[in-house]
Order: sequence, then C-alpha cells, then structure tokens
Amino acid sequence: MDSNKKYWKGLEELHQTPAFVEKKGSEFIEEIPIENVLNEAGLSTKTPRRDFLKALGFGVGAVTLAACQRTPIHKSVPYIIKPEEVTPGVANYYASSYKGQSLVIKTREGRPIFVEANTKAIFAGNGVSPSTQASVLDLYDMSKLKGPRSGDEGISWDEVDKQVISALNSASAAGKQIRIVSSTINSPSALAAINEFTVKYPTAKLIVVDAVSHSGMIKANELSFGKAVIPQYRFDNADIIVSVGADFLSTWLDGIENTKQYMANRSHTSLKNGKMSRHIQFESGLSLTGTNADVRVTVKPSEEGPLLIALYNELTGSSLPNALNDNQKAVTAIKLVAKELNQLKGKAILVAGSNDANVQSLVNAINVHLGSYGSTIDLDNASNQYKGDDQAFAEFLREANSGLIDVAFFTESNPIYEYYDSKGVENALSKIKFKVSFADRENETASFVNIIAPNSNYLESWGDSEPYVGYYTLVQPTINPVFDSRQFEQSFLIWAGNTTSYHDYVKAYWEQNVLPQGKSWNNALQEGFQFNGSRGGSAQSFTSSVSDLANLIGTQSKAIAKDIELQLYLSGGIGDGKQGNNAYLLELPDPVSKVTWDNYAAIEPKYAESLGIGVNDLIEVKAENGYSIVLPVLIQPGQAAGTISIALGFGRTKAGKAGNDVGKNAYPFVRLVNGSLQFNNSVTISKAAGTYELAQTQTHQTIEGRNIIRETTFANYKNDPTHGSGNTGEKHKTYDLWNKYEQPGHSWVMAIDLNACTGCGACIVACSVENNVPVVGRDEVRRRREMHWIRIDRYYSFEKDNEAVTREGEVNNLSDLSQVTVVHQPMLCQHCDHAPCETVCPVLATVHSSEGLNHMAYNRCFGTRYCANNCPYKVRRFNWFNYWNDSRFDNYLNNEFTQLVLNPDVTSRSRGVMEKCSMCIQRIQGGKLKAKAEKRPIKDGDIQVACAAACPSNAIIFGDRNDPESAVSQALKNERVYYVLEELNVQPGVGYMTKVRNTFEA
Amino acid sequence: MRNISLIFRRVAKSVALVAILSMATLFVQAQDIKEGESLFKADCSACHGVDRAVIGPALKGVSERHDEAWLISWIQNSQALIASGDEAAIKLFEEHNKLMMPAFPTLSEDNIRNILAYVEDASKPAPAAAAGAEGAAGQSAGASGDVSNFMFGGLVVVLIIAFLVILVLNRVIRTLDRIILKSRIDIAEGEEGEDEGGESSGKVFVDKLKKLSRNKKLVFFVVLGIVALLSTAGWNVMWNVGVHEGYQPVQPIKFSHQLHAGVNQIDCQYCHSGAATSKNASIPSLNVCMNCHNHVTASEKYNGEVSPEIQKIYNAIDWDPDTRTYGTDTKPIEWIRIHNLPDLAYFNHSQHVTVAGIECQRCHGPVETMAEVYQYSPLTMKWCIECHKETEVNSKDNAYYDQLIAAHDQLKSGEKITAAVLGGIECGKCHY
Repeated sequence: MDSNKKYWKGLEELHQTPAFVEKKGSEFIEEIPIENVLNEAGLSTKTPRRDFLKALGFGVGAVTLAACQRTPIHKSVPYIIKPEEVTPGVANYYASSYKGQSLVIKTREGRPIFVEANTKAIFAGNGVSPSTQASVLDLYDMSKLKGPRSGDEGISWDEVDKQVISALNSASAAGKQIRIVSSTINSPSALAAINEFTVKYPTAKLIVVDAVSHSGMIKANELSFGKAVIPQYRFDNADIIVSVGADFLSTWLDGIENTKQYMANRSHTSLKNGKMSRHIQFESGLSLTGTNADVRVTVKPSEEGPLLIALYNELTGSSLPNALNDNQKAVTAIKLVAKELNQLKGKAILVAGSNDANVQSLVNAINVHLGSYGSTIDLDNASNQYKGDDQAFAEFLREANSGLIDVAFFTESNPIYEYYDSKGVENALSKIKFKVSFADRENETASFVNIIAPNSNYLESWGDSEPYVGYYTLVQPTINPVFDSRQFEQSFLIWAGNTTSYHDYVKAYWEQNVLPQGKSWNNALQEGFQFNGSRGGSAQSFTSSVSDLANLIGTQSKAIAKDIELQLYLSGGIGDGKQGNNAYLLELPDPVSKVTWDNYAAIEPKYAESLGIGVNDLIEVKAENGYSIVLPVLIQPGQAAGTISIALGFGRTKAGKAGNDVGKNAYPFVRLVNGSLQFNNSVTISKAAGTYELAQTQTHQTIEGRNIIRETTFANYKNDPTHGSGNTGEKHKTYDLWNKYEQPGHSWVMAIDLNACTGCGACIVACSVENNVPVVGRDEVRRRREMHWIRIDRYYSFEKDNEAVTREGEVNNLSDLSQVTVVHQPMLCQHCDHAPCETVCPVLATVHSSEGLNHMAYNRCFGTRYCANNCPYKVRRFNWFNYWNDSRFDNYLNNEFTQLVLNPDVTSRSRGVMEKCSMCIQRIQGGKLKAKAEKRPIKDGDIQVACAAACPSNAIIFGDRNDPESAVSQALKNERVYYVLEELNVQPGVGYMTKVRNTFEA
Repeated sequence: MRNISLIFRRVAKSVALVAILSMATLFVQAQDIKEGESLFKADCSACHGVDRAVIGPALKGVSERHDEAWLISWIQNSQALIASGDEAAIKLFEEHNKLMMPAFPTLSEDNIRNILAYVEDASKPAPAAAAGAEGAAGQSAGASGDVSNFMFGGLVVVLIIAFLVILVLNRVIRTLDRIILKSRIDIAEGEEGEDEGGESSGKVFVDKLKKLSRNKKLVFFVVLGIVALLSTAGWNVMWNVGVHEGYQPVQPIKFSHQLHAGVNQIDCQYCHSGAATSKNASIPSLNVCMNCHNHVTASEKYNGEVSPEIQKIYNAIDWDPDTRTYGTDTKPIEWIRIHNLPDLAYFNHSQHVTVAGIECQRCHGPVETMAEVYQYSPLTMKWCIECHKETEVNSKDNAYYDQLIAAHDQLKSGEKITAAVLGGIECGKCHY
C-alpha cells in the first residue's frame, strides 16, 4: 500500500456531486456579474456621457485636492510619568494564568495582545488551546458591561455594596439561606475569600456546578476508592490507550496537558527511538481524539456501557450480564484490545467520557485490573479542574423552589443557558428575593437578577488557581480594568467586611500557605507558578461488586437505546459556550467537520440516505421531554449509524454582537440521571422545511486526487523509516527555469509532523491574533472568503476489510462509511524557493528574500489575484472588504476599543490586496534585531512563529535551515519528510513528516 | 566684461576680509564669557542660579564676596578646602545646611575664571532687561547674542554688496544698450534708406516674430519644449505629493533643540531614550523634563518668574515651583509629530541607532541648530533605499554578523557589504 490510497476532503469531492464538480474549477463560488455590466443594458443606460463627465470631473477634482493636501496633523502624546518598565514600541511579558494553565502574556504599551504557554510550567507547558489563545479578544469585547447595574440602570459600587449587604443582613436575620452558585473554583485565595464570607453569613454555601460536568467520575472514585476526586492521568506512561467516548485530546479534562503527554510517545522524536503508543477509540461521533486514533470503532452512546462490560469480561474471563454482543466490529475489536491490554499491564490506560457513576466505576475496576493506578493514573495527586456537583445544584433548585433561599450569587455560571432545565431554573430564580450575577455582560442568567456586579477579565485581575493538588499558578493583571468592573473575590471580601485589596489578600495567602521558605512573592510572580506537590500515586484495589454495576449499566443503556441516539459533545473551539461572543472561536473551523459559525446534527452518510436526508437539509430534532430544535444536517463519515451528534455551547441568545443566535442550544437535551448529568439522549428526527447551507471551509480547495498525504503503519515504519514517504528510489531529474539564488544568511523553513498534529486549530487562532487576520463572518465563509493564513486540511480515507480503498468508484460501493481514517494537514504558505506566485505578479508585489521567505508587499499589490490562481497550495487569501471598517462585517473589530487587540507590528491590510502567511516575519525581524543588539548569533529557538508557539503537540518546528544544529534542520533530515507537490519542483520550504498509524497487524 | 568681473572679485575679496576680521575680533571679545556660559550651564546651573538661590546660593556678586584663588580651590574641591580648615569655607558649609558641593577637578583655573567672568557679566543688569516684556524678547535673543550680531552684520554687508552689484550691472546694461542701439541704427541706415530709425526696429521685430510663427518646425519644437517642461514640472510635483520635507509645525511648547542639544550638549538619547532599544525614539515623558526643569526655570531671563514655556511643563505635570510639590491635575502635552512614516512601512530606531551606529543627524539633520525642528529628510522610500545601498554594515565586533559575512564572502569575496547586500532592500524587511 504505497501511496495509491485515496483521500478526500469531503463527501462532495468523494461522490463528485454535480454542484461540486461545477464549482471546483472556478475561482469564485458565485458567478461574477460581468455580463450584467457589459451587456447592452449596462452600456446604453440613459446618460452615460454625462455620468462619464461627472465621474471624470470628480476624479480630477479629487486628485487635485489630494495633491494639494497639507501635511496631516498627527499628535504624539507622551506619558506624563512613564512607567519604568514600559518602553513604547517594546513588548513586555508577564506571567499569568488562565483556567489554571500558566501563561506568558505579551503586552504592548500596556495592553495585552497575545498569550503563550509558559514553557517552563510543570503542567501544560506546550502551547495552548484555541479558546485560551482567543481569550485575549474577550478583554476587548464591546458587549461587556461598563459598570455595575441594577435593572436597566447603572449604579455605583457603593450602591451595590449597600444593597447587597442589606439583603444579606436581612436574609441572615430571617434565617434564610444564601447560596453562591459557581462553576469550578480552584483558586485557593478565592475559596478563602468565600470562606470568610460564609463565616460572616453562616447560612451561605458555595454550590459548584459545571456546564459540562464530571461529577459521575468523582462519584465513581468515591464509591470505588473513597476519594471523591478526579485523578491525574499520565498518558505519557501508557503504551496502549483505550478511550471510550472521551475526547481527551481536546475537551475532556485538561486537553492541553493530555496532548503533551500523548505526543510524548507518538511524535517524531519518539518514533526516532522506535517507540509509539497504540490508541484505540470507541465513540459515536467523530471527535478530534477519534481522528487521531490508530484504530477507531464506532459505537452508539447506549453501547458504551455494554462495551465496557464486554471488555471487562474479556480481560478477566468473567461473564457479567449485559455485555455488548450485537455490534460485531466492536466485539472483534474488544477481543484484540483485551489481548493487548493484558499483555501491557501497568502500561495501559482506559478512559471513558461518560458522566455516569456506574460506567466510571466499571472503568475504575478495569484500570485496577490493568494496574494503571500508580503508573498511568495518579489518584493521590488529584485534578481540581472540574469539581462541579450536579446533585448539589439540583438540591439548590429544590431549596429555591421551596422558598428557603433569599440571596443567590452567580459566579461564572449561567444556568438559564447551560442547565438542561432552563424553565426550572427561571422558576426557581423567581422565588429568590435577591440575586446577584458577576457576569461581565448581561447574559441569559444575568438578565434575571437584581444586580449585575461585573467581574473583571482575567487579564485585569489578581488571582491564583490550583488545577492539580500542589500545583499553584498565579493570575497577574496586565492592564487596569478597562471598564468599571470589580473582581468577584474582592466583592465577597468587601461584603464579608474585609477591606484588604484582593492583591494583598492573594499575596498574603501565598506567603502563608504556598510559597516555600526563601521564595519571595516577586519570584513567584515572575515564574507564574509554584509546584509543591508530587506525582506518581499509589496502586489501588477495587472491591465493589462489578455485577451490580453491570446490571445498572444495562438498565441505563436500555433507557436510551430507542429511536435515534443523540450524543452531545463539546466543540474544541467554542467549548461550553462561555466564550460565546468570541469571533475568533466562532470562525475557527470545527476540527473535523470544518464548519464555522454554527452547530449542526452530524449523521452518517448511508444512514442519512436511508432516512432520505441530504446535504443542506434541515431536520427537527425532538427529545422525549418535548424539547425540539431545527438544525442543519452535516453528513459526517465516521459517525455511528443510528446516532446523531450535536455540539453544545451554541445558541446563546445574550452573548453579544457576534455570538447571539449562532447555532442552536442543545443543553436542554442533557438528562439528569441518578444525580449526574448525562450528555446523551434518545430523540426522534423529522425533516423540516427549507434548506440551510453550513459555512464550511472543507471543500473550498480541491486536491484533484493528487498525492499530498502520505502515511504508513508503525510496523512498516519499523522495517523501513522511509516507508510511505515517497523518499525511496531514484528521484526524477529536475530542470530549473530559474537561476539559483543563494541564501547565505538565514534560511527560514518549517517542518510539520503529521503524526503529532491533532488538528485542534490553536495555530489558526494564534495566527489570526498575531497577524491581525480578520474574521469575515458566516456569509463570507460560504463564499470561500475566509482569511485564515494557516488552515488545517482534514482528509478522509476509507478502509474495507483492512485494505485501503484505492479507487473512487470503490468507495461509492462501500456499505459502511463509519470506518474512516483521518489525517490532519496544516497548510500554510510553503515559501517555495521557486514560487509560482512570484513569477505571475505583474507589479512585483510578492518577491523572494535572501532568507528564503516569500515576501508580500501589501501596498504594492493591486489585486489581480494572479498569484492566488497560480499557487498550487491555495494559501493566498484576498481581502474582498475592509473587514475592520465596514458596517457589513460588524462582528467584533468595527470599533476603536476592540482594535486595541491588533498587533501594532503588523499592518492591517485594506480591501483589494492579497495576503498570506509571512512566517511571522515581524517575529523573525524582531529576533534578529535582538541578536544584533546583543552582538551574538541567533540561537535556535530564539525566534518562534505564532503557530508553533501555540501548538500543544509541537507538531510545527520552525527555524533556520542554515544552522545544521537547529531543531528544524534535524527534523528535516528525518526519513519521513516529504514535500507536498514536490513533483512541481516549486521547492517548498515546509517539509511534512508522514502520518504513522500503529494499527493492529492483521 | 572682464572688467566687471575683475571689479566684482576685488570687491568680494575686500568684503570677505573685512568680514573675517570683524568676526575674529568679535570672537576674541566673546571668548571668556561664552565659554564660561556654556560651562556654567553644563556644570553649575543644576544647583546655582545667578540671581536666585536654587540648591546652592545665588552667585551674583560672588567675586566680590571671595577672592579668585579661594573660589578656584573651592570649586575644584570644596570638601578638601573644608577639610583643610579654611574658615570661610567651613562657614559657608555650615550656612548651607552642610550641603555638599561636588568637586569639579576637571575644571581648569582658566575655566573657572571664565565661569566667574560669565557670572559677573550675567549679574550686570542687562540694558534691555528693564524694559519688561520687550526686554524678554531681547534677552532670549541675547542667549545667542553674539551669533545674532554677527548674522545681522553679515546681512548688512550682503545688502551693500547686492546694491553695488546692481549699480554696476545697471551701468553695464546701459552701456550695452547704447552700443546695440548704435549698431542697429547703423545697419538699418545702411540697408534701407527710406525707413526711419526707432519705429522701424520695432516693426522689424514683429515681422520677424510673424515669420518665425510660420516656421512649423520651430513652432513644433517650442511647443514640444513647453510640454516637456510642464510635464517635468508636473512629474516633480506629483512625485512630491505626500513628501513633507521641511515640515515645521508649531509645537505646543516652543522647545528649542538648538538650546538643549546644541548649547547645552544634552545627548539626544537622554530624552529620546527609546531610540536605542525600541522602534520608537519616543518623545520624552514629562518626568524626564522635570529631571532638569525641577531646578532650571530660566527665571533669570524673566525677572525672576518661571519662563512661560517651562511653566507649560509645570502646568501639564501639575508642579508648583514655589512649594515644590506635585499635584494630581495632570494633562499630557500633545506634540505634533513631524516625522510621519506611513503605517505600511516598519521602521525601527534601535536597528539604526544601536546596531548600525548611525548618527541621529544623518536622517534628522542638524537638530542641534534647529530652534524649531523641521523634517530634514524626505522620508521617501527612494531615500531609504539609496542609503541602504551605500551604507556598509556595521559588523565590527558583532558576533551576529560573523557567520553571515563569512558565508557571503564565500559567494562574492571583496564586494562591499552594504545593508542592501544582506537583504536590506527586500520588500519584507520594512513592509509587513
């Protein structure tokens, strides 16, 4: 199976649908209305001569006026007293953290513009998630409140304090309950502040509830081991990873840390050492983790539990009831997996995405059997990232309904939107006398409260967090609060009668409880984190009755094994919807479906066909509880037949200008079963009237069956590292049309490890933030006008009976399109040494540099788009509009405040010019200048491009090819390296490493 | 004609001689006080005023209070003098709260004499000072008084020369006219007897013009010439659209670089501290101004009042010079930017100042002579590129360049390594 395996970007291409065939060759998705202009009607309009003269007169007048311009007055206003550390024009970096990940925040003239992972951090030190990367935009969100509010009126903080304290006092006097509803708080200082508050008001209690909860797992660990915690997972210690519905590389627990650990055994460095873990994924919808699995088997949500029972039976030789037996593929896979797991005891890990305590208990039993505890699972050093307790929130609603609660606070919690029973929450809230929300905007819940006391953004705040036991990170502000906001911790302190500033409070807490002897607060601030814990953990034993579990799981499974099974999942970009107004995340294509600006019902192709549903159709999805939504259909290969998948986090109604009414809210489909939220359901679907075109980026460029993805299996790789890369045998003799130009100084190139790329899209967001790439909106994406400089192409291929499907016709005959394999390929300007774009530019706006870069001079470009037409990689993007100054694109950037997020070192391109990846030339120039000023040669790693800095799996390696010791030079020497469309002899500067899959040897 | 040029040359020579002589004498007279003034401003003015106590006492009449030898040893090392047990020195020290005056071992005795001469000169009531507001203007001119005097004298000389030249030329023209007229009359009389002198010459001229206008070739060339001229002029105008060479806006504070950078020799980067490390040279924040203007109020020129321009700084930073305290009512000063590069061009000062070691004046012109700054260079891309093509890279002792130069030498040994050769004129170096 050399390289004749066929890849498709989408089913349109696979089936060569008429619409696709018609559009694939044309540059524009819509006809350009040239005829309308050139036909007779256009030319013989009534007064062309007079119009012509008018236009001419205006033109001449305008030019004359322009020529007579006086020098424009630009004011230059220096600081009154310049802060010592600020030099205008030079960036400052501060250590801070977001959601427990230690970060380095880049600020310019006092405004944060970019976040990077703190590479020295113990946890998640390799890149960031798309949502963290995009979080800097949340600071500059115009939809935020400008100050505290009571009803529709702005009030002062003094007034807030007065009203809240009087409400608290009267509640206390009447012996009524006070509740603080929050998503997980793992900040020790914040918990201490809340504790002070609860001491002052003894009826107060903290209720922790997460939109997407893991309380089932916590409960299971309590039942199995007496520890109500989420353990730390150590994927780096695992040689075999089995995941049942857990999207652990993206949204399940700590996706960034998981990715880092996962890649420790799979990236090119690990392959060099001849080591690669094996990853088997059982799931319903095709998740990001599923696309990276070596073996992926589709199961319905209701089969997940029975599958684990079957796996337990197979591993231990027992015969528990309710084991999976009707999904033949899964049963076969389980046999193979069980054999392997038993061989690799102590080096195996099993994770499951279910939030059902019984399922998780069974998972615990299997992990105990596999000897995972103490090796791949660390139960002693728990994770604090999700502490939500579904039962506690249900209890809160019950108490509120019975009128026991007088005052309620909502911190980072928006239950009216994200709780399945929105009406129930509304009713309960109406019975609470006094409600305060700390939301930064008037969101769904905040519009039901008495007072909104806006919380500051994390970039404006002091704080800390303890994501893992003993691992503390600090939050340090990088800008003064832009609006009149106040940290909720500060508010609780004030209401508790403590007038200390929260900064002093955190500092005092750290000095007393966190910092070891001899380490100062300033040291900690500089480093950003403090690790006092340990890692490792001890072995565990499992004593509960597994047969009881099997019975319970069986009942659960039968409850949803009706009609069509619905799986609810989190998309890697928008997540649970808390960042719902973030335009960068809304336009980030879903890693698998490449859909932007919407959620949808994903359905398997053959199954859809059998239901008479096709592309662009709308369906009504209805649950047993009566909730129904109309969603566009996405035909998704790899989806389990008989299931649909819908992403949560969409359908916000009060998120802000960009995020309102994007997609539909799927939270009401969540079920509360045995005290934990279940993210699956049984639904019926029916075709709805009308059609809807999803804004997908997937088929925007075609590959015409060219051999641009190369992959191999681990077995083949071990025999021959060059296997599948096309690097074997003699190369064609090539002839050059162009003279050879030397690159004596630097030669900037990139290596991309297809085996490491998970397709998460952090690079896309990082590139957009770094290079001021505009968000264009749903309509423009439909017209194929998205501006991303780097995209991640996702290619499907199919297998039949362990044989790769090699012909297009053959695929059409496949009965089962669920067995799909996926390769993610980041595609960006390849900076070809023989760049085809350069030769066709009539104005020399794009030319080559002596450092191997393909430069783009925007102000020289006059927009012929010849270069884009001639680019074999289709990476050039054209500015059809002034996206930052056009009322039609009023997404986020059309105001001076949000424009503060722009990188001042990069030009904002105007309408009518071409743009593309510059390899972050501003960073290259900056790095060179720093070396020159310090009179030293550039060290490898001094210059990091934005996408590489953001990559959580180190899939992108950037550097100087002329430095033989650089990481990129070493990487490009790898046997797996090939160049996309090498045969064109455009001599690209980006090398790709073959995808290696550790499949079962048949 | 030879006669005229000879005469002119002679006149010019004598004028130049007179000018040089007068300048020389002026300089000799000014020497002491001028040098004293600049030394005073550099070394003394931070703590001493002439009429006004700053940190140290006012220096008016200091030469009367102490003898010169004592003053010299005091200034060179006051602590040594006190240590030696000099009574006057100890008394002075005690009187001023034991505030130490730093030693100035670098000042020679002559230097100190010059300073004292300046102090004496400055403490004399200037003749114009009494005249109030008018006097203020005179005073400020007096700061560079010698220069202005010389310039004024020079102007007068130039005017006289111009007048002489005009006289001479007038005479020449008249003589030539007479000669031409005479010869024309002779010719006309010789050729056509019936035509009469003066009238006929005009008619002939008109006729000739008519004849010329009928000559199509000539007309063509004339028109062509005019068109060419106009297009060149137009071309030049168009090329200079948006080029603001010489742009000199009125600034909110009449800040004189000539005084600060020229007379006082303050280093450019003392105020424009960003130039060494950042892309922006940056306009100094007010706290930088206050480093000196905390004490320097120029009140000696304004009847003991703070200079109105310096007062603007005080107003902006809300500093009360009497109570010497800062308030909170601050407002930034809105300077008008002179050097405007379009957003599409990236320029980094530190690359040019720190790495290349280029003098500020190379692009900004003789700022130290500009009372009001103007845009000296055109700031066009052509101007940038020309410099990049000529300027050799400052690679000395810079390890960054070692490998680059070695690699380059391998390719084209012997060629001058300019910025352009190392890629300094590639688009992406400035446009991204």
